[in-house]
Order: sequence, then structure tokens, then C-alpha cells
Amino acid sequence: MASSANSNPVPKLYRSVIEDVINEVRELFLDEGVDEQVLMELKTLWENKLMQSKAVEGFHTEEQAALQAAAHQQAQQAQQATQQAQAQQVLLPPQQQVTSWQSTRPTVTSAPQQQVIVQDPKILQHMSATGMSAAATAATLALPTGVSPYHQLITSQGQILQFVRAANGAQYIIQPQQQMVLQQQVLPQMQPGGVQAPVIQQVLAPLQGGHPQQTGVIIQPQQIVLTGNKVQQNAQVMQMPGQPGQVQQIQQQVQQVQQAQGGAAPGPPQQQAKQQPPMMLQVDGAGDTSSEDEDEEEEEYDEDEDEDKDKDGGEDGQVEEEPLNSEDDVSDEEDQELFDTENVVVCQYDKIHRSKNKWKFHLKDGIMNLNGRDYVFSKAIGDAEW
Amino acid sequence: MAYQLYRNTTLGNSLQESLDELIQTQQITPQLALQVLLQFDKAINTALANRVRNRVNFKGSLNTYRFCDNVWTFVLNDVEFREVTDLVKVDKVKIVACDGKSSDYFSHSSLIIRPRLFLTQ
Repeated sequence: MASSANSNPVPKLYRSVIEDVINEVRELFLDEGVDEQVLMELKTLWENKLMQSKAVEGFHTEEQAALQAAAHQQAQQAQQATQQAQAQQVLLPPQQQVTSWQSTRPTVTSAPQQQVIVQDPKILQHMSATGMSAAATAATLALPTGVSPYHQLITSQGQILQFVRAANGAQYIIQPQQQMVLQQQVLPQMQPGGVQAPVIQQVLAPLQGGHPQQTGVIIQPQQIVLTGNKVQQNAQVMQMPGQPGQVQQIQQQVQQVQQAQGGAAPGPPQQQAKQQPPMMLQVDGAGDTSSEDEDEEEEEYDEDEDEDKDKDGGEDGQVEEEPLNSEDDVSDEEDQELFDTENVVVCQYDKIHRSKNKWKFHLKDGIMNLNGRDYVFSKAIGDAEW
Repeated sequence: MAYQLYRNTTLGNSLQESLDELIQTQQITPQLALQVLLQFDKAINTALANRVRNRVNFKGSLNTYRFCDNVWTFVLNDVEFREVTDLVKVDKVKIVACDGKSSDYFSHSSLIIRPRLFLTQ
């Protein structure tokens, strides 16, 4: 307990300052006619920046972790959230799709059929809300490959097969049955230029008797790679109705989508290739002045000085070698920590004393940022030789 | 008027950045932001004076010193900051210190390293 009594006073201090400031300016905000919500936004922004800076340890992290845990628990109480959580689980570890699918099977079977249908758009929305980039969601909605995001195939049995297109461009199909046999087909990559080929997985249900309950299991593609703003991977997960006829229909559907995606996939990669050629190689020597001329137009002053210095060094020093080597850096900056922060102490002085070259500092009420972290003191005493 | 010295700290800079964002989106006026910063100055000065109670010692070599407008600015090298609990070593540190005896009537805003736009009114 003694160690916790000496724990860092900085987070508490900062929190108290934030509270004080917010409370004091509330009146100012109201006088100006600014909404209270803006005040809360200010507080949130402030706290977030403090957390992001990592200069303070454990700042609000416990509170926020508790809030997030509570929010998660509330969400999980709804049945919809269970599927969403499974979707998230399936989304996050793409390489573990088989195991995650298997592990999520038992809980999913309890989901009634109707809820599966209704919850698909919500899964989509939830996926988009879980931090998928706006570009990815826009790409999804814009249907770059010409495949609609939400296919519904009504089979002869009256069951509805649903293609769900997630924000990643991966297509998920909700499986209606427990017993599944996974068959995965991985297409070779179309181009090495960073565009991932569509990875299509076929899930074939066993042809045994159908189960009335639908499982809301969602299968993930193995590889999800975002190339720039483009999402080229499409994974298809088929809903399995458990009937042989339906399986065939599903296979046909998959093939159709595969063809559509296969046709679409080479298109964008070719466009990418076309955009690449304009890069030029410089074949002539290193001493060209074309770029320097361009720079000189903007920063004549600096360029002239540098050129003069280089010429002088080249003439006086080694004439044979390039002037670049003649003035090597001698700095020892690499010994410092990786932090770029300049270590700063902001404080007030009680007394500064000097005797010959021996200085003594008596400081108070200071905030220090050392090696990226914040410290405070009420008194600081220091010695230094000049 | 309290020292504006502490605006260039993690706490102060994050507040200024947040206020800048709100000004950008025109949710608050620059005048209001300035008022918030003045309030922050008061709050941080009070908090440091009353709520902090620890001592630090440090030792190093003095590289440069400057005394201007009653503000000392030092740059020290190879400094060890020692508290009861732990030790922090840095290769270089800049210390900016205002007079602790009297509250300022200068704004000292020009002496702060990264001046903000809406301070220059």
C-alpha cells in the first residue's frame, strides 16, 4: 500500500484542473450562448488529446475501460449483439476463420430464423460502426464490383439465402444450419502489385436432413488485405439450406459472383498498372542541376549558401571525393531516447545563485516533460556547472 | 493575472488544440477560447501551488543561461532528475522559469515557445 500512496500525482492533478476549468467556463459558455454540449465536447477533446499524448500514465484509462466494458455488456444482452460480437470475432482473426466459426456455432444455433434476416442490415451497420474506414464503407455501398451488397436468394424451399457484404468488401453468407462442411477455394492472386485476388470460400452443407433452425454463423475470408483505398478481396460465404437442390443453386450463385468479381478484379489492377508508368529514371550523372534550379526558385537563399559551402569544402578538402563526404555530422543525437520531445521544465524561480561557474537553482511549482512523460513538482533544487 | 507560462505543457497544449478545433468548426469564438485559456492559467497556477507537494533535485552541466524580462531560461546537459521514488536522466533539458515572487503583469506569451494564433489580438 505504501507504493500506491506514492503513486503518480499527475493524473489526479490534471483531472482536477480539467474539472475546475470546465466548471469555471460553463458560465462563460452560457453567457456567450454556446450550448453545454460544446463544453462537453471541449472536455472530451481535451481528455482524448491527453490520453493520446501518452505523457500521463493511467489518465482516465480506468474509467473509460469500465465504461466500455459496461457498454459491451449492455450490448451483449440483446440477442442481436451476440451475432454482432460473433461477426466481430470472425472479422478480427481472418486466419482463424475455421476455428472461430466452429467455436461460435453452439451459441449461434439458438438464433431463430427471423432474427437472422432482420439482423443482417444491423450487422452491416455495426460493422461499419466498428471503425471501418469511410472509404471502405463507401466502396461497399458503391458496389465497385457490380455486386449488390445484399443478395437474397429465395430457394425452392422458401428459405432465404443472404449475401451480406461487409465493409471490408468481404461477403458473408449466413449459414442456416449447424452441420457444415467447409470447403475453401483460394484463387491465385491476380497481380503482385498489391492487389489481392478474391478469396472465395465455398461452404457446402451436408446433404442430410435440414435443421429448422438457422445458424447465424458467418465465415470470414482467410485474407483480408486493404490495398490503399481499394478493397479487392471478396469472400463469399454461402448460406446452406441443407438441401441438395439448394446447394446447387448456391454453387451457381457463387460461380456467378466469382465471375463477376473475376471480371472486375483485373479491371482495377490494370488501371493501377496504367497509372504507374509515369515514373522516370534518371540515367545521367548525379551532378545535375535541374532539381536545384527548381528549388532555387523557391528558396534561393538557402540553396546558394549550401552550394557555396559545398564548393568550398570540395576545393579546400579532398578535391577528388564528392563534396558530400567532406563534412560529416558529428552529432551524438542518436544516443538520446527515441522520443523527439524536447525535455522542458516550466516553472517559477525562488532564487538563482551563481558563484564563479557554479550555479544553484531554487525552483517551484513546475511541470516537467522528460523523455515524453509528464512530472510535476512543488519545489526543485538543482546544481550545475557552466 | 496569472502566468501564462503553463500553456506550453501537455495539459495546456491539448487544451489549446481542442479550442482550435472548436474554433475551426465555429462552435466557439476566439474570444471565448481566450477566456478559457485565461481560466486555465488561473486553475493551473492554483493547482500547482496548492495540490502538489513533492520535491525534486537535479544535477547537470549548464550549457546556456539567459535572463530577460525577469524570465530565466537555461539549457542544461546530461541532467539527472531525482525524486524520492525514481531517477530520470536526460541529455538536454530546457528550463523556463518566471519570477516566483510576484505575479506578472506582462503576458509572457511571446516567450512561450509555440505561440498560438489567437493570442495575437
